[in-house]
Amino acid sequence: MRVGRLTVAPQVAVLVLILVALVIYPWLFTRSFPVHLMIVIFIYAGVATGWNILGGYAGQVSLGHAVYFGLGAYASTVLSTKWGITPWLGMFVGGAIAVLISLLIGYPCFKLGGRYFSIATLVLGEVMATIFLNWRWVGGAVGVFIPMVEESFLAMQFHSSKIPYYYIALVFLIVSVAINYLVDKSQFGYYLRAIKGDPVAAHSLGINLTKYKLMAMSVSAFLGAIGGTLYGNYVMYIDPTTVMYNTQSTLIMLFAAFGGMGSLFGPTLGTFVLYPMGELTRAYLGGGGRAVNLIIYGALVLIVALYQPGGLVAWFRQLTRKRG
Amino acid sequence: MALLELSGLTKRFGGLVACNEVNLFVDEGEIVGLIGPNGAGKTTLFNCTTGYYRPDGGTITFEGQNITGWPPDKVSHRGLARTFQVVRTFKEMTVLENVMIGSYCRVASTEDARKEALRVLEFTGLLGKKDALGAGLTVADKKRLEMARALATKPRLIMLDEAMAGLTQREVAEAIVMVKAIRDQGITVFLVEHVMEAIMPISDRVIVLNYGEKIAEGTPAEVCANEEVVKAYLGEDYRA
Repeated sequence: MRVGRLTVAPQVAVLVLILVALVIYPWLFTRSFPVHLMIVIFIYAGVATGWNILGGYAGQVSLGHAVYFGLGAYASTVLSTKWGITPWLGMFVGGAIAVLISLLIGYPCFKLGGRYFSIATLVLGEVMATIFLNWRWVGGAVGVFIPMVEESFLAMQFHSSKIPYYYIALVFLIVSVAINYLVDKSQFGYYLRAIKGDPVAAHSLGINLTKYKLMAMSVSAFLGAIGGTLYGNYVMYIDPTTVMYNTQSTLIMLFAAFGGMGSLFGPTLGTFVLYPMGELTRAYLGGGGRAVNLIIYGALVLIVALYQPGGLVAWFRQLTRKRG
Repeated sequence: MALLELSGLTKRFGGLVACNEVNLFVDEGEIVGLIGPNGAGKTTLFNCTTGYYRPDGGTITFEGQNITGWPPDKVSHRGLARTFQVVRTFKEMTVLENVMIGSYCRVASTEDARKEALRVLEFTGLLGKKDALGAGLTVADKKRLEMARALATKPRLIMLDEAMAGLTQREVAEAIVMVKAIRDQGITVFLVEHVMEAIMPISDRVIVLNYGEKIAEGTPAEVCANEEVVKAYLGEDYRA
């Protein structure tokens, strides 16, 4: 494609168009729900993109990513409600705690190999949720309400409009995808793909398996925690069932797998398709339809797994190749 | 001083002694062949040397440094590369990317890794297939890619585990040319092989293992004349 005297790759042009569309979206769809939907999608897509670095690139399937999401949400919320520390700082404290926990669980489990790692993350999810359900100091099963304060960027509270949240969440998604892009193009990304492809061969070619898996896990956990902080501050109420449950872990993984594991835009695409579908079924089926969205997700992921394991992204690629 | 020296190398699996007090050395610039019947302990010896198994006894010395018990990635950085008997191609990567994984061992930038990989692909004759996926290659090309990947780590010594098994006669001939070319680049070659037509003409020295023990060592002609080797492995046809 040519723009003036500049030659632009079609992919870049499409990307810029999508970005422009996302930036003007809240001015076109001014009602509350469409903006809300996108905020949650951005956050989940950013977290799923982080999951993808570990699960999609390195092939280490984490079934407990809600732990990092929850740690981010709790750390910033507790810091701000108890000591008045801005969530912008709490976010990074949450990130640091998430990285620490991920290293503690990763170091022994990575020595065992893929399946054991997945099982361990599943157990970690259950254990952490149980701890937070019973930990009175952080609200226990009741959870924590974030007290309303005057609207300000510093407090990350905006009551008159959702638009500031919208842009914060969008920036988070862009940063997450940008990090994934840098990983994809670097030695780090190549090494992760090698580890996923054949760890024995990777080891013989000079790759320290544990080191690179831990690095992937840290990045992944960190992005999960940042997403958690943003989510907690947006909904202003957190409890273990909304930010640290297996349901969230499963969602994060499904979004990434549905869109395309190990691809740059797969998790984002997966979230954009799957999440609204879940919201719609909830809207149509009302209170009686709880968890129906999960059934639909499950069926869709099953179809993808059977017919196109590469996810939506791989399917798109196939279509464009046939035509082009 | 030998480039690689194993002394008293022992590896047991339960009651089975796969390698029993094996002593051997490989000098710089040599092509050394390791032969023996199935189950003689050849691959076990390779696995111990490259860090995949921790030996139960003995030491492995590389360029004068004791590397016994080092993990494979450290061994590789030290300058000792290997290939696998059953090829371990990164199936979802292109040929070029496969080799880049190897060249990243010495350089961190993707640009440099690509340059080095292209150089190795040209040397190994795979340049024309650089964009093909690993999964789509023929057995011969996969074996060649395995060598290219190992070479990209810039080793001093390359250990080839049955790089010619399953190849046609013509492909074996090409592989022999390849091995010689590797040596001419100044890289020492230590290879396990079952294809006698391949190992005999190229090896400077041949070492024979049987039941985990070294039973003979010498030039190909000497080994072929050895009674014990003929009985254990080569068969009457090879009697000199």
